[in-house]
Amino acid sequence: MSQVLHEIGPMIDPQLLQGRERDDLTMMVAGQGGDGSLTIIALVSRALLGRGYEIYRTSNIASRIKGGHAAAFMRATTTPRSSLGDRIDILVAFDIEAVQKASGRLAADSIIIFDSSRGALPPNLIPDTALLIPVPFSRLAVRDLRRDLFKNSLGFGLMGRIIGLSDEEVEDCLRRHFKKLSKEQFEPNIRALREGQSFADGAGIGAEQSVYRLPDQGPREARTFITGNHAAAMGFLAAGGRFFAGYPITPATDVMNFLARFAPPVGGVIMQAEDELAAINLAIGAALTGVRAMTASSGPGIALMLESIGHCGSAEIPMVIIDCQRAGPSTGMPTKPEQSDVNMLTRSGNGDYPRIVLAPGNVEECFYHGAFATNLSQQAQCPVILALDALCHDSFTAPHFDLDRIQIDNGKRLSADDVAKLDAYRRYEITEDGISPWAVPGTPGAMNLVTGNERNEWGRVSTEPAVRVAMMDKRSRKIATVRPSLPRAHEWGDTDSPIGIIGVGILEGVITESVARLTSEGLSFHCHRPRTLWPVLEDTVAFVKSHERVYIVEQSESGQLADLIRSAGAPAERIRSILKYDGLQYTAEELVAAILAQERAA
Amino acid sequence: MTKTYDTGHPIWCAGCGHFGVKGAIQHALDDAGVPMHEAFVLAGIGCSGTVQNNIGAYGFHAMHGRVLPNAIGASLANPDLTVVAAAGDGDGYAIGAGHLVHALKRNPNLLYVVMNNGVYGLTKGQDSPTKEVPLAAPEEDPLDAMLLGLSIRSSTFLARGITTRSTQLNELMVMGLEHARQGKGMAFVEVLSPCVTYHDTYPEWMNKIHDVNADPGYRAEDRGMAFATALELVEQDRIPIGLIYHGKHPSLQDEILRELVPINALSEEKAAETRAHMDNVLAAYTV
Repeated sequence: MSQVLHEIGPMIDPQLLQGRERDDLTMMVAGQGGDGSLTIIALVSRALLGRGYEIYRTSNIASRIKGGHAAAFMRATTTPRSSLGDRIDILVAFDIEAVQKASGRLAADSIIIFDSSRGALPPNLIPDTALLIPVPFSRLAVRDLRRDLFKNSLGFGLMGRIIGLSDEEVEDCLRRHFKKLSKEQFEPNIRALREGQSFADGAGIGAEQSVYRLPDQGPREARTFITGNHAAAMGFLAAGGRFFAGYPITPATDVMNFLARFAPPVGGVIMQAEDELAAINLAIGAALTGVRAMTASSGPGIALMLESIGHCGSAEIPMVIIDCQRAGPSTGMPTKPEQSDVNMLTRSGNGDYPRIVLAPGNVEECFYHGAFATNLSQQAQCPVILALDALCHDSFTAPHFDLDRIQIDNGKRLSADDVAKLDAYRRYEITEDGISPWAVPGTPGAMNLVTGNERNEWGRVSTEPAVRVAMMDKRSRKIATVRPSLPRAHEWGDTDSPIGIIGVGILEGVITESVARLTSEGLSFHCHRPRTLWPVLEDTVAFVKSHERVYIVEQSESGQLADLIRSAGAPAERIRSILKYDGLQYTAEELVAAILAQERAA
Repeated sequence: MTKTYDTGHPIWCAGCGHFGVKGAIQHALDDAGVPMHEAFVLAGIGCSGTVQNNIGAYGFHAMHGRVLPNAIGASLANPDLTVVAAAGDGDGYAIGAGHLVHALKRNPNLLYVVMNNGVYGLTKGQDSPTKEVPLAAPEEDPLDAMLLGLSIRSSTFLARGITTRSTQLNELMVMGLEHARQGKGMAFVEVLSPCVTYHDTYPEWMNKIHDVNADPGYRAEDRGMAFATALELVEQDRIPIGLIYHGKHPSLQDEILRELVPINALSEEKAAETRAHMDNVLAAYTV
């Protein structure tokens, strides 16, 4: 029978207040959308960031404004992780559904703080060995503070005691989190916090006691805590990106939000378009004048933009496109992650045209690849796509971004002086490297025609077979030209192992964690994460060829990544797919089980 | 002098109205003294979508229906350019109709010229949204873009000309270009430009046109009068032409640009500012 701490009932068993020391803690806060689950998680994250922990934060929400099951998760660790722990150590549940959703994943020694305002928790939902703390959050918040929302600050007050934060630390976090509120708006939050703390006192969790102990990790160098969307947008801005147009879509809207906030002070222009067709075409119009331009969307929006992406490829217009992949097909599951736009991004569109698709694997790469893509689009004068996955909306700690590493490269852009030295200027001049010198409107003496039709060097429409072939070959050579500069795969693990694992994007974290656990099963693996999806680089094909068998782990139903790698020449018989398309993210436990099942069958 | 592309000869059929439209655009650019390198002519798909090839300015061939967003993007990114967008009635009123509504609503500083001939010429004669009596649905009324424009309260310049009245057409184009260049917003000039091959409407349109400016009591700055007059004419099966509406409303540039400067070149001073700004941005995410 799990110990139940009643509202004004028996004190918590002092045995439990020894302060179990943890270097890895997973917490879930859940309820109905609008309950403020994200707020408590944000507050606890802030506190543990202050103690020097690595934080991974994610959420699982319904696609609606209010209501629907909403859960926020946080994992605090001493080594960086990009997935949740297998088990939830602390659950704050604002309703029964939250406990039901978490039920199978609660740690045996977990703590469940349950909002008992609307009644007690039905039996058999939590492990016998768990500690249940019923707290009438809603009732207390409404009774004493007249607003349900204050239950978050109340919950944070109690949470601080449970994980061993000092009352000062907790109050400081609350102040910093709500720094935009007026004194009058903020004051009830402080009262709510105190109410949470006195509730803890009542249960015997005094200021000097705690259930968990997360010792301060000591002074650390500055780090960056950010989502993939914000990091990629920051990279674009740092590399001189000054025009963005987008149309709201989950989970890409945050790219626009970031830029709307941070781009105008440096002259950036941000447009919310009437649809995705307008979004990318506004960006194309700006890009034609030489401005570094970008759009961002998710699967359905990218599908609408495909004709325009092909147009950039044909007409040789620099363009950065962020795809925040979500579960498809069609509208699919807007708030659930997937990696199933790989086919669309690498191979869709009419005709053959040059494009580059990058797949950052962490927020640091989102930033540097965002800047790299911005420069690369100018150098290669073609679309460069960043394929993000759950990285886009999850927050991670990362080494501090280094702005000094960002350079601005204009490629073969011509100034008026450059043009004056030329006998003739041809926009689509055939060159050895496939890249034509580029003069933008406004440049004296370099008037030219830009078109998506096949054309001659002057930009005049032409269907002459020889011209067509020369132009197709020229555009194709651009990719060969930039290929050496494209990011190679990240490889790690046991280089001597005959078994390989390939995964892209956010999956590196869970693969790393899984491989560490499989070592204790006597298995070792060599891991490979491609950073460039298109073109498929030689190193990925070579990786498959140099291992007896390779697991390709991906979030797609048909194995799009495996298919892509096979089609680039990797031997099909060595590839084994591990697929996930249930809308959830991998946990290490799940991936370990999937790999073991196939290894044992082998 | 650096040699650039040869402006060549238009692809249009002899007698096509588009020759007159091209002439009027060139006349307006000349009249305003716009150097060719500061003019950016963007056009969509169809017979109208080749006009940029024969002018000598910077030209862009947009995708079908998308010329307005392209032109708006360019006009925001480099306010020093004189931006002219051109489309046909299929390009502008069918596949690209949604963008027209939003362009009028935003009022960007550019001249938008639609060559209206009531037919898809390049694909050989299908009905367009402005076909008077569509073959498949004879009772369906044609789209009147002036009435549409009048219904959007931030539209500032709505005019319709016809290629057979070149003096008036030139005047409208000059006024429209001036409107855009002076930062007053979007000048929308529709030109009745008959297709002699698939839908020769010269005689019919000559009979139907009615110049609203011929009436000394017509006030183009009065949206209500413009709407009532245009609607009455349309209901009488006449075609209103002339300067139909000319009003004031802040332009898109007034609304969203902090300063009217090109953002396609980062000066050293700007780069330094940018770096200081980026340090602050990064600080917001530093723990």
